[in-house]
Amino acid sequence: MLKAIVQREILEYLKSSKFLIGLCLTVVLVGISTFINIGDYQQRQQDYLDAKQSLKGKSIIIEIFRKPQILSTLVQGKDRELGSRIRITYWSLPNQTSGYMGEYASQHQRYVSGFASVDFAFVVRVVLSLMVIFLAYNSISEERTQGTLKLTLANPLSRGQLLFGKLLGGLFVVLGSLTIATLIAVLVMVLHPAISLDRELSLRVLGMWGVSALYLGTFFTLSLMVSTIINRPSVALLVLLQIWIVVIVIYPNVSVILSQHLMGLPGSEELADRRRAIFEPYEQEYNETTKAFIKMVESGEQNEEICIKNVEVSAKRTELYHQVDNEYSHQMTHQMHLARNIAIFSPSVLYNSVMQRLARTDIQESDKFMEGVERYWHKVVEKSRLRYRDLEAFKKSTFQEFTYTTQSTAESIARTLPQWSILFLLSVVFFVAAHTVFMRKDIG
Amino acid sequence: MITIIKREILEHLQSLQFIILIVLSILLFSMNGWVSVKKHREQMTRYSDGVMGIAQNPSTVQTSLYMHPNPLVLLADGGSKYQPPGYSLAPKGKLTPLPAGPKNFKMPFVPELDWAFIIKVVFSLYVLLLAFRGISGEKEIGTLRLVLSNVLRRNQLLIAKYISIILTTGIPLILGGLVSLCIVSILLPQALSLTLIPRIGLMLLLAFFYLSIFAFLGLFVSALVGRSSVVLLILLSVWILFVVVVPNVSGILSNKLTSVPSEYQTARQVGPMLQEQVWARIDKVKERIKRGELTTDEAVKKETDKAFEEGQEDVRNHFAVYENAMKRRANAARNLSRLSPTALFQFASESLADTGPRREERFLKDAKAYSSIYDSYILQKVGQLIGTSLFSFSTSITVNEKYFHISSPRPQEYEGDKSDFPHFVESSPNLPHNMQEAFLDLAGLSLWNLILAMLAFWAISRCDVR
Repeated sequence: MLKAIVQREILEYLKSSKFLIGLCLTVVLVGISTFINIGDYQQRQQDYLDAKQSLKGKSIIIEIFRKPQILSTLVQGKDRELGSRIRITYWSLPNQTSGYMGEYASQHQRYVSGFASVDFAFVVRVVLSLMVIFLAYNSISEERTQGTLKLTLANPLSRGQLLFGKLLGGLFVVLGSLTIATLIAVLVMVLHPAISLDRELSLRVLGMWGVSALYLGTFFTLSLMVSTIINRPSVALLVLLQIWIVVIVIYPNVSVILSQHLMGLPGSEELADRRRAIFEPYEQEYNETTKAFIKMVESGEQNEEICIKNVEVSAKRTELYHQVDNEYSHQMTHQMHLARNIAIFSPSVLYNSVMQRLARTDIQESDKFMEGVERYWHKVVEKSRLRYRDLEAFKKSTFQEFTYTTQSTAESIARTLPQWSILFLLSVVFFVAAHTVFMRKDIG
Repeated sequence: MITIIKREILEHLQSLQFIILIVLSILLFSMNGWVSVKKHREQMTRYSDGVMGIAQNPSTVQTSLYMHPNPLVLLADGGSKYQPPGYSLAPKGKLTPLPAGPKNFKMPFVPELDWAFIIKVVFSLYVLLLAFRGISGEKEIGTLRLVLSNVLRRNQLLIAKYISIILTTGIPLILGGLVSLCIVSILLPQALSLTLIPRIGLMLLLAFFYLSIFAFLGLFVSALVGRSSVVLLILLSVWILFVVVVPNVSGILSNKLTSVPSEYQTARQVGPMLQEQVWARIDKVKERIKRGELTTDEAVKKETDKAFEEGQEDVRNHFAVYENAMKRRANAARNLSRLSPTALFQFASESLADTGPRREERFLKDAKAYSSIYDSYILQKVGQLIGTSLFSFSTSITVNEKYFHISSPRPQEYEGDKSDFPHFVESSPNLPHNMQEAFLDLAGLSLWNLILAMLAFWAISRCDVR
């Protein structure tokens, strides 16, 4: 009997125009956005390869480039926004990457920053979640209104089995739609010469499918619960839409505003004061050395001692300033975590954070890159000392290529387990609530 | 007809969605007021500090021009977080955006909670929720036939329904707006002046004009389709298209439709360009020294300064090409998104509030006008104009066997009395001019209203009331 219910549900969903419209919109949006995002990725990847190839010689100004992430074609996240280049020297260690043109000239990206990115994650988060609501809002209430609920339950079928059958049938259709959307995205990627999906990336895409399924499952069980509680289908839809707009639009926005107000960040004046204070003990020495160094450069004579001293004090200054920047960076991270914690019950926020982590387009990936840059900077300072101490040895020495540790797929999944668990828990709670209400429900 | 309007309003006021809308409206508008106060305070502090700094230490090397903070960002923020707080102005009209100050780039992207956002997303949805049962709901329960059996004509019924939806939506909208304005005027009394009232009033009118589109749309579909649940599904699909899909997809479509040179290639060409434009000229100076054409330090310095100065001009133009291409892309995205009434409303709101890219353009126009005054002042005080660039150069030259260090010229600071330093005054926003800017968007909104009103009247005239 359960099998018959599942089959009937699947057939009804498949025949409905709302399913067809939703699926068409999803397929078109996923296909177009993935194709356009691949073009963007291809351009950034080409820029990255060109930039890496152009690195020649042993300059004291080192440029490090951040590789664009392949899966940014599915989840843009912060990948593009954060820029691709960082320029370090013994006297400078910025705390974030910029565009290829440097911090100021690369500001032109701001003209198009106001337009939200459309990608696979966006389509699932917004369009598919709405389609799920449209599919499930009347699954119990309409049957009750039409009287078929009473008829169905006249068969040897328990209420629990019926609800479970509806869940299975609905999930089959929803996950089927999600699978089609994922396959379209993967197909566009695989057919494009710029993309090669290896085993690790495929696993990550699989993980994305998994969390998308869980996210849509949450909306399905929520709709099922509302449909069980509210008798009139149109009222159930109204309630679900209001929940949707709160969960997708209002709650994440409010969480950011609240976190910004609950945990203020220091302004530029305060940061400048902190830098001044931390460097104060060394300032006099720095000023004297800098003066001597400038005098030396203007005179055209090389003084090894002044040069090395200049490297030492400049590096000290940079290191101390970077300590302040790091502290500020941690405060930013705390503020971001606070926003996420406030929005912990928004499936949309949970989903976004897992998707970005899996696509490696989240802020943690950028933080790992910056940690690598900081480690590399110490090597740059060492090389700069060598340059003035022993030019021949410096010329003979090789510069180790910049690397940083990225998260493995297993680590990414492990780190996002709390979000997976909350999404799962929400689904279970919604289904249990639907079950409890349905067991006591007057079926008319 | 008045009886119908009264009945409709009463029904709407008793509905669940109206109560939720009231609660949401007060909550969101309160947050909007609260956030705007904080933002305006921060901007004013920065602006006052900056302006005071210039007044205390006027400079002939470089000055900063600050954009006056606009309290009406509470109506339509216009992407203020992406805009610089002002521009630094160097001699020869070189304008560079000032850094925006530290901000948390780790935070997720969320749209600004301004009036335009609340109206275009939340209120538009609620108008549809109030309208979807307007005709089909009455048909389902049989009251449509009864109502129309009176002397009331179909057109009158539609007008009554339309008026009642707009009036019902007006209550939470005006209430929310007042809450927001109260918060701002209590916490920041100096921010809202009487001159801003016409703009706020026009913003409310614009909101009604925008929501009217959704009211007509709701009534049209409700009259056309019999079942309320199907009506709601269609309306929500259209809503997603207008509010979510078109404005967002236009951003990525413009990537495909407009070509912007690669950022890396643009950056990469700077090196060879500097080589060609600056160092080749310096080499020529060196050759002239060898040939004995330049024999004094002063003559060499004059020639190298000229070489540095002229050479950098091409680099500035090179960056301008990339910047203009990005601006074209942004304009293409904005124009594409104008297919949606939501985008039309957003841009018209920005014009009314005097925010967004047009505000920045106006500021830049003022800054360019001021730059000639600034240059005249420098010429009068220092005697020469030297531009600055992102790049500085230095090298060494031997003249008459004497080692000579040269570097790119830098503007000089006038050490005398600068009490007559010209002050930058930003032109005050002009409402008729802003209305003119919003003309096309308003025309677009009118067209949507007209089309949907006609469709609604057509649908109700052909509606089978049984």
